Amino acid sequence: MPRKNDLEQQALQIIASHGKEGIRQRDLWRALGASSREGSRLALRLERKGLIYREQELYEGRWTYRLIAKHQPPTFDSLVGVPCIACPDSDKCYPGGMISPERCERLEKWLLQNAAKAASKNPGEEVAEQ
Amino acid sequence: MLVPIKEELLVKIAETIGGEDARKIVEALREMGSATDDQLSLKTGVRLNLVRKILYRLYSHSLVTYDRSRDGKTGWYIFHWRLQPEQVEGFIQTQKRRFLEKLCTRLEFEKSHSFYYCPFCSVRITFEEAMEIMFRCPKCGRSLGFFDNQPIIEFLERKIEELREELGMRQ
Repeated sequence: MPRKNDLEQQALQIIASHGKEGIRQRDLWRALGASSREGSRLALRLERKGLIYREQELYEGRWTYRLIAKHQPPTFDSLVGVPCIACPDSDKCYPGGMISPERCERLEKWLLQNAAKAASKNPGEEVAEQ
Repeated sequence: MLVPIKEELLVKIAETIGGEDARKIVEALREMGSATDDQLSLKTGVRLNLVRKILYRLYSHSLVTYDRSRDGKTGWYIFHWRLQPEQVEGFIQTQKRRFLEKLCTRLEFEKSHSFYYCPFCSVRITFEEAMEIMFRCPKCGRSLGFFDNQPIIEFLERKIEELREELGMRQ
């Protein structure tokens, strides 16, 4: 049987992994394989320790709590695919330099691809039409 | 089994920094706790020199570290590598801040210039540069067309806003 602290750690990890949206208390205890009684006590303990906050919400006609971690874990999603992270010249890159954000070919390629994706059209085609 | 969030992030970061091989190495280190480059090469099937290259790269970002011991027979040092998940948060924040600065510089550049484009070579140059070469593509010599960079400006503004929000710098 997991120790109390292990269970708290696991619960906190599950709550944190749901980001700013948080998780319903009932979904948490189900994910942990705990009973509803254990689940609500666990949530209370985490709240008392200042690790999470609870928001009351009505779900399928019943009141429950949404549990949200106070300290959100860092996310890397906004940097996935960014060329500067893996760029060997990153330290030499500065405005107006030999390698610069204004003239970088890798950044240019990334921008063209992503801006086109965001605008759902190909800049090449757009230019070719003009 | 639950995987700690920071270790999961480390795998993602490794993949961005060093591709598929780096991901394999970090996953192997996560499983083994601590391992030498030889052991990692054996476990992942990645060539030894590549394993070392990736480890040094991750080390330069403080994402892995090592303990050194001396081989009793040869007297050479043996490096035992392990992950440093506690450095992940700092690494991400630093990268976000640096990238944000770069994007802001780029946004200024995009806003203060007009661009011309060759759709055949995917070459985009500023109006001033295009004028110097008589609006001909520097690669294929075909005529350049005007490039509307509004989608790029909008994308940059959105990305900057997203990063500022994540860094708690919202204006």
